[in-house]
Amino acid sequence: MGSPQHVSHVRASSSASTDVDGGGLNGNQDNLLPIANVGRIMKDVLPPQAKISKHAKEIIQECATEFVGFVTGEASERCHQERRKTINGDDICHAMRSLGLDHYADAMRGYLRRYRESEEVAAALNNNNGREIQIDVRDELSIFRSNEQRQGRN
Amino acid sequence: MRQARPYSGMFCGGVSARTGPHALPLARIKKIMKRSAGEAAAGDGGARMISGEAPVVFSKACELFIAELTRRAWAATLEGKRRTVHREDVADAVRNTDLFDFLVDVVTNDND
Repeated sequence: MGSPQHVSHVRASSSASTDVDGGGLNGNQDNLLPIANVGRIMKDVLPPQAKISKHAKEIIQECATEFVGFVTGEASERCHQERRKTINGDDICHAMRSLGLDHYADAMRGYLRRYRESEEVAAALNNNNGREIQIDVRDELSIFRSNEQRQGRN
Repeated sequence: MRQARPYSGMFCGGVSARTGPHALPLARIKKIMKRSAGEAAAGDGGARMISGEAPVVFSKACELFIAELTRRAWAATLEGKRRTVHREDVADAVRNTDLFDFLVDVVTNDND
């Protein structure tokens, strides 16, 4: 992994310091992902009897922030090479793949596709604001859905 | 239940998947992205622009990432016959996962 950007890569989470504002090691939280959200996600994947130390939450907060920075740096480099100014979702997926994060790239490609589809629907709804829209919601009604599809769509 | 009104709760300000509840705040993600995009692009002096969908992708990707890292850390916790995940468990998880090589500095060096 000897890409040039790695050498000049500044840690996205390099605010970890011992300043006491807000308590804990990560006093200045502005350039990190919020620890409350991080903690909630962690709690959701662990069994109920599990506990999480504050330091563990903080280190994962930094790791997740670094994850964003690391992938973004690669995506930004790609945009630069292709003379594009805007980093989009595809660039993120490609960057993940370049960095060996294939299963993330695959998962995000599907997610991105569904997101774009839903944005198209939203745009159509917004454009028709005030006028009657025909939406076929049969798909949404549980009676027409198989059991599998009904579970955990988020 | 949501099925009766698939777009309930999203009428104010228009309907959009962008405004839906995300596990991590989009504005903060965008901020972190801008910092990294700016640094990587230091050569051409330009901050990159970031499309609206990019933070949405990261919100989900980070959720998966945190989940994976947490589960791996928990495996280390169990190995130590404990029930509280400690910082060292996270460090172990990072060291044991090739994919997480980019995090080695984060878990071993917290003095800046």
